[in-house]
Amino acid sequence: MRERTLMIMHYLTGLGILVSGTIHVYVVFLTVPANLTAWESTLSFDGFQFAILPVYRNLALALSLEILLICTTYHGLNGLRIILYELFQGRSARTYVKYALFAIGALLLIYGTRTIIIAHSIGGP
Amino acid sequence: MRNEIILKVYRFDPTSGKPPTYKRYSVPITERETVLDALLYVKEHQDATLSLRFSCRMAVCGSCGMLIDGLPRLACYTQISELDTDEIEVRPMSNYPIVRDLVVDMSGFFEKHRSVMPWLIRRDVREQNQPTKQYLQSDEQLLEYLQFSYCIKCGLCYAACPVVTAMDEFLGPQALAQLYRYIRDSRDEGATERLKSAGEFNGVWRCHFAGSCSQVCPKGVDPALAIQLLRRRTLFMK
Repeated sequence: MRERTLMIMHYLTGLGILVSGTIHVYVVFLTVPANLTAWESTLSFDGFQFAILPVYRNLALALSLEILLICTTYHGLNGLRIILYELFQGRSARTYVKYALFAIGALLLIYGTRTIIIAHSIGGP
Repeated sequence: MRNEIILKVYRFDPTSGKPPTYKRYSVPITERETVLDALLYVKEHQDATLSLRFSCRMAVCGSCGMLIDGLPRLACYTQISELDTDEIEVRPMSNYPIVRDLVVDMSGFFEKHRSVMPWLIRRDVREQNQPTKQYLQSDEQLLEYLQFSYCIKCGLCYAACPVVTAMDEFLGPQALAQLYRYIRDSRDEGATERLKSAGEFNGVWRCHFAGSCSQVCPKGVDPALAIQLLRRRTLFMK
């Protein structure tokens, strides 16, 4: 893929992170149990199971989380690609970096999507 | 006002097999003397083997670029008095292979410059090869690219650029600023072709916007600005 296209996608996913990340943080903030702080609620089992997980029964919110996952994966790995291209130069090194990052990205997406699907279908106790 | 300064000059002959060294020369100075004057004094009176490149002595030809007290500058354009020091360190420009002493090999730099097609492109090939008329433009059209046309190809921006240090393939500030200069020229018809090459792997996307290229340019050209503007044009391809 051409560098220009990759960078356009980089900018678009950056915007995607801004929008879907804001939705994600806002939703988590709204569902904080009264007896916990926002930070504790994301970490504690009770907070996660009883407050945050049910939120993703909602298909729109589950989709926004999926969009956040796709955007952060692409944006982060493309940023890493740019750094690694400077560290490992030459056409063959670039090919290795490209395929390694593609594989890491695919794994992250598969595992993350699986988690979101489970959250959506289980949706808490 | 000092009457004498010490020049600490980098000496290196790659063919000798010996490592680089610094040699110190004591040089008498007068008011308004430049670093180039001092180096030429050394060459004429103290050490004829000192190699350096120079020509016009008035910041027009861009031949005498070197690192003076750690910064890329033109030796003919740097007054000794402005450095305000008793000892001046002079080294060859970084990011270039050294030919000898203060002389660097700029063929890679000029190769990149040539790769951006620094000439007017006309769609009509016959007109391109044998122009039949003058291509007139207004003052406003000239101002669109004027500052970028002041580039004297001295190569100081390459010596200052951290991305050129890290990545040989990067087109670099000078070539990209020239690419932008021709895109903005109302007489040029090769914008699409130029934008394609700017958007390639080694083009505008590799710039980290350190801005050191603009900081060191002796002619007031702002290559960092050109690269940012070029990025926008490359995104929208217009």
